[in-house]
Amino acid sequence: MINPVSYWRLKDRYFNLVGTKCKKCGAEWFPPMRVCRKCGSQEMLDHQMPHKGKLLAHTLMKETSEEFKASSPYVLGLVELENGQRLLAQIVDVDATGLQDGIEVRLTLRKMAEDSKKGTIYYGFKFTPLP
Amino acid sequence: MKPNSSVGILGYGAYVPIFRLPTSEVGRVWRGEGAGPNKEKAVAHHDEDTFTMACEMARRAVRMAGVTKLGAVLVGTESKPYVVKPTSTILAQALGQHFALAADLEFACKAGTEAMQFNIALVASGMIQAGLAAGVDTAQGRPGDELEYTAASGGAAFVIGRGEEALALFERSTSYVSDTGDFWRRPGEKFPSHLGRFTGEPAYFHHIETCVRAHLEEVGHKPSDYRWAVFHQPNPRFPVEVGLKLGFKMEQMEPGLLNTMIGNTYAGSSLMGLAATLDVAEPGDRILMASFGSGAGSDAFTLIVTDKIVEKRKLGVPVRDMIDRSVKVDYAVYSRFRGKLYE
Amino acid sequence: MSKVFIASAGLTPVGEHWRKSLLDLMVEASLSAMNQAPELIPDRVIVGNMFSAVGSNQEQLGAYLANQLNLIGVPAYKVEAACGSGGAAIHNGYLAIRAGESEAVLVCGVEKMKDIDVGKVTAALAMADSAEYTQFAGATFVSLNALTHALYMKKYGVSKEDMAGFPVLGHRNAALSKHAMFKKPITVEDVLRSPIISDPIRLMDSSPVCDGAAALLLVSEEGAKRMDGPLVEIAASEVAANIFTFYERPDPLDYLATRAASKRALEKAGYKLSQMDFMETHDAFSITGALALETLGVCKPGEAPHDVSAGRFNLDGELPLNTFGGLKGRGHPVGATGVYQVAEAYMQIAGRAEKNQVRGAKVGLTHNMGGVDTTTSVHILRREA
Repeated sequence: MINPVSYWRLKDRYFNLVGTKCKKCGAEWFPPMRVCRKCGSQEMLDHQMPHKGKLLAHTLMKETSEEFKASSPYVLGLVELENGQRLLAQIVDVDATGLQDGIEVRLTLRKMAEDSKKGTIYYGFKFTPLP
Repeated sequence: MKPNSSVGILGYGAYVPIFRLPTSEVGRVWRGEGAGPNKEKAVAHHDEDTFTMACEMARRAVRMAGVTKLGAVLVGTESKPYVVKPTSTILAQALGQHFALAADLEFACKAGTEAMQFNIALVASGMIQAGLAAGVDTAQGRPGDELEYTAASGGAAFVIGRGEEALALFERSTSYVSDTGDFWRRPGEKFPSHLGRFTGEPAYFHHIETCVRAHLEEVGHKPSDYRWAVFHQPNPRFPVEVGLKLGFKMEQMEPGLLNTMIGNTYAGSSLMGLAATLDVAEPGDRILMASFGSGAGSDAFTLIVTDKIVEKRKLGVPVRDMIDRSVKVDYAVYSRFRGKLYE
Repeated sequence: MSKVFIASAGLTPVGEHWRKSLLDLMVEASLSAMNQAPELIPDRVIVGNMFSAVGSNQEQLGAYLANQLNLIGVPAYKVEAACGSGGAAIHNGYLAIRAGESEAVLVCGVEKMKDIDVGKVTAALAMADSAEYTQFAGATFVSLNALTHALYMKKYGVSKEDMAGFPVLGHRNAALSKHAMFKKPITVEDVLRSPIISDPIRLMDSSPVCDGAAALLLVSEEGAKRMDGPLVEIAASEVAANIFTFYERPDPLDYLATRAASKRALEKAGYKLSQMDFMETHDAFSITGALALETLGVCKPGEAPHDVSAGRFNLDGELPLNTFGGLKGRGHPVGATGVYQVAEAYMQIAGRAEKNQVRGAKVGLTHNMGGVDTTTSVHILRREA
């Protein structure tokens, strides 16, 4: 279960897909790597990933964790960004039945969950095929 | 109000959610028949709110403007996700802006044009180079109330900056206010209250007419000097009525009239009308925009479109395209989306 | 370095144990194992478990169990590796004996999943994967496997009917077993008619939420001298960790940890896979069962579901698989599963598998995964020569 402090630390990662980039070999990583998986360098810089990608696979989720029940059912997608890094994100503005893999999708910020009606609202990245 | 130096719009972006509730659904559920004055209204999905929509429109505006720094991020809305905690700082974070003046503005449906007014002043004074003004709402109507036909979600954002780079310049603006309590919400109340037909002549019409007439005199123009006119649109009829009354013609207002398809996006309403008008405007066109906010007041602006609009516009998403991409929902799904099923 | 033997195994039936707590289950399985080998007194207690904190507000399970067994002053601790906790716990006990640091180790795997509501269980299981990215995106553990399943179907074009062969096999074997959760066989139609949880995974493609505990008494060569009867040796115990999330892997379908652990295990024990008399693989979902078989090299890529449906892995088939029902039929009390698998392999080799007996079983392999092949252990058991 996410908490407000952890969420605050992760803002730029969630709002702008800021991962890390290896100073030595240029490889980009999201989720962020502290040590470059390609060349082993420990000199990593924060770096924004492309906000566009391709849908590799998706699943319509009928059963979800408690925090996400309010949004259920939803489509969870495996997205490959333009730089080859992959991530999981809900796919919005689509009808699950007609959804084709391979389509271009882009980042959009949406509400992920909230800590009750009087708690913190957690925003994060989802992906949409709309321009 | 005339800015001391040249100020204009560097970029703009609108956003409307894809879901539409036909007003016949509201009629069906509450009256067994009938529909609202508008055909459909735009409804935000459960995971959308004023911030998420503001983010979409602001990112579009910033992309069109091509700026990397914003000296101000001002969000005008009456449906803030947090009553205490600014939406503008969440938006500023999402836009990567930290050294900026961020504030949430409130004045019912005129909060967006207020954000525009302040940005014009900040740029004109040289205090900032460019700033963002957004007017956005996830308007809620009390279930069963007539405002439920029209209360909708959406809005538009504008990057305001120096005239040399603008796609449209601000010639002048005017503001007119009075304490007219036509529509309000007390703390702790979930939905607003209003005085029915009183929201017409003494509120909407009086403030827009008074403001625009004064504005036209200050700026020294007649309605026929304008190519386009945009008015706040709480329903399909009011903006046309006030426009005609002020001496404008139907063709001037056409591109900005969106209420029939998406309803009233409150603080987003006149700004969306402006965005839709800019989507078709040509260099040299003069545009009048007049907003109205309950409580009450009106902001009027005269803008002149420059030749930069042709190329800049290509970087955006036309408002009409966005409106056409729609998915109908019924009253039950709408209720779930808008959280009306749980207290 | 001492050889490692299994002196005894104890297990509770897998099911909904409303009247038994986490502790009750652990003690029951442990005493069952210990009572079968009273000549041994454990000098180390290791508990394998995934989410006792969420499920029972309880940690420090090593001392918690040791205390009830009156084993005071001995090393006692919990080992966790998500659904691979059981295998990792056994590995830890194995290492202690190999190194000569212990003579008799009690390894107990336990999970109490039914005290909390399903939404909380779902959230707890998701903790096997990244909190900041996977969980935050709204993924559940099932959805991760659903995506893998979708990628697999896309790559190989396997039919839904063939994929359903895994749960059908599991239930058929489970129906013969005293400790399995499910006692009724099911058909392919039953599987395909069951509700979708995360498309394309259906209810009957997934192992159940359940309670259970299994325990092993591991013994060194020295300690084994005091025992009668043929012994079952742990010929190899290997664990491997993969890149953490499946979507960070160059090939999302590559079970690198399974491959690494099984390769090392077979090499160290001196066997070829074809010499296995039976196998217990991690069929939490039909897709994990398929990828496990293909990674182990038992099936060609894309052909495991067809091989299962064709009967190759039936109890009386070419290579009996998941002989007591596997995760799908026997059940999957997550942290305990790895220990159930080795306990079942022990029963096969010791000739105590009753209706589930594989005739002449002398050597077998168990495969236990934490997460999506994130922490995988492979054990090879054989009859003492």
